[in-house]
Amino acid sequence: MGQPLVHKSPIPGLGLSAGITLTMLSLMVLLPIAALLVKGLAPGLPALFATVNTPRTWAALYLSFRLALVAAVFNLVFGVVLAWVLVRYRFPLRKLLDAAVDLPFALPTAVAGIALTALYAPNGAFGHIAKDWGFKIAYTQWGILIALIFVGLPFVTRTVQPVIEEIEREVEEASATLGATRAYTLRRVILPMLAPAALTGFALSLARAVGEYGSVIFIAGNIPLKTEIAPLLIVIKLEEYNDAGAAAIGIAMLLISFGMLFVINAVQVWSRRRIGNV
Amino acid sequence: MSDIPLAYVPKAFKPVATEVPWVRWLLITLVFLVLAVLLFAPLITVFYEALREGVGAALTSLTDKESLSAIRLTLLVAVFAVPLNAIFGIAAAWFITKYSFRGKAILITLIDIPFSVSPVVAGLCIVLTFGANSWVGSWLVAHGMPVVFAVPGIVMASMFVTFPFVARELIPVMIEQGKAEEEAALTLGATGWRVFFTVTLPNIRWALLYGVLLCNARAMGEFGAVAVVSGKIRGLTATMPITIEMLYNEYSSVAAFSLAAVLALLALVTLVLKTLLEWRFADQLAAQHRH
Repeated sequence: MGQPLVHKSPIPGLGLSAGITLTMLSLMVLLPIAALLVKGLAPGLPALFATVNTPRTWAALYLSFRLALVAAVFNLVFGVVLAWVLVRYRFPLRKLLDAAVDLPFALPTAVAGIALTALYAPNGAFGHIAKDWGFKIAYTQWGILIALIFVGLPFVTRTVQPVIEEIEREVEEASATLGATRAYTLRRVILPMLAPAALTGFALSLARAVGEYGSVIFIAGNIPLKTEIAPLLIVIKLEEYNDAGAAAIGIAMLLISFGMLFVINAVQVWSRRRIGNV
Repeated sequence: MSDIPLAYVPKAFKPVATEVPWVRWLLITLVFLVLAVLLFAPLITVFYEALREGVGAALTSLTDKESLSAIRLTLLVAVFAVPLNAIFGIAAAWFITKYSFRGKAILITLIDIPFSVSPVVAGLCIVLTFGANSWVGSWLVAHGMPVVFAVPGIVMASMFVTFPFVARELIPVMIEQGKAEEEAALTLGATGWRVFFTVTLPNIRWALLYGVLLCNARAMGEFGAVAVVSGKIRGLTATMPITIEMLYNEYSSVAAFSLAAVLALLALVTLVLKTLLEWRFADQLAAQHRH
């Protein structure tokens, strides 16, 4: 369009900063992902599909995606409630709770994994109670779900919190003076304002849960067709020196991830258009 | 003032912009209960299981040769991965915020890719690029520089998963600060590096520290990506999280949880420092961290 690639600028360092950025990005991220695509697609699409098209792989992909979705929905609902409570209410230990929300980001996944397993195993503190009720959590899909809820917990709260802080009280007061009940105000005035940020957090939490490995493998039990997640299947293929098989599942997961990245971006564009730049 | 009849003064102001008290207390109780079960219980479990046979047993298992070499390797990986990603983050933020060029949005999206890729897929990508079966990898092995199943691969895997951390913290802060201060320094005759060290760096130092903190916590604790590339060779390529897995699978519960407790302490220190930064220097961090 006749525009220069880079506009002239008096600030020095263009070559150096562009050089470091593009070199490291290519070497660290783009080249490895290209290698995955080349390796996975080299035998051709039909061969790729044939590799993925086994009951065990479908079961693993379906399990990872389904449980990630359930965990993300839980985190969406609870994350909005948590953000609302932390911003709007005043109670003892509020600041401690606020700081603790980020624990799943800071705690290594392997540490979370063995801790959750110790808690929910049949001889653990919570697992013991569940066992008395005739219910098994660790080494079943329930255990995987708890681990996925744990790792995705902070996303929605952290994206929604700043939006709640920005809401002007006058809006709610106006709604009340016009005769709306509190529940009606929350549903028709507050919730639409939170929706874009909440959906962004939901998508982030979902993407994280689909690919999660460290916190899940300890508690999952890893029984093929039942509690075997897709990332574990990649590790198993690699241990069998089946690079092509691992690459095929890797590409399937990458497609899911990029699909989500696309949705996140679309949601952000949509939210900006709807309520201005947040 | 006093001639207003008392009957006209409302007894108490009833706020309309909040929920009724019982709903408030119900929600607060719910939040406490869920966080106690989901967050605090696992955290307490780590320390409880580590100290189950006493402080002595926990400390003895930590000074074990295997644990010590794991701690050393994890520190070594962080020493390479974190500064390299900090340099990338500063360069990328400078490039993106100080110049206008075509394709900026695509560049930002590309930098964010590691956030939406499974750590295991990240590790797989590195194995396929630099593993012995690839031509880059076979050349590296032939020249005595193996990447996969060796320390460089672990550093790369850790860098991949933490790649966007610093850049994401710096970009919003540097957009907000604009470039007027840098331009003023330049017209006064400062060189590029002098502008960076005396004008830009002091403006972004807390945001940089914030990003480095998060990057470090994740790099030291990364499991999935490292598990794929490390080969899990005891004493050589087993980082702390990998060693935790090996000890746990061998039923050395106290040893596994002791090492886990060290990482949990690191996580707690990270959270405390991060919270302090949010309280003390909120105006110099990205807007989303300001409470």
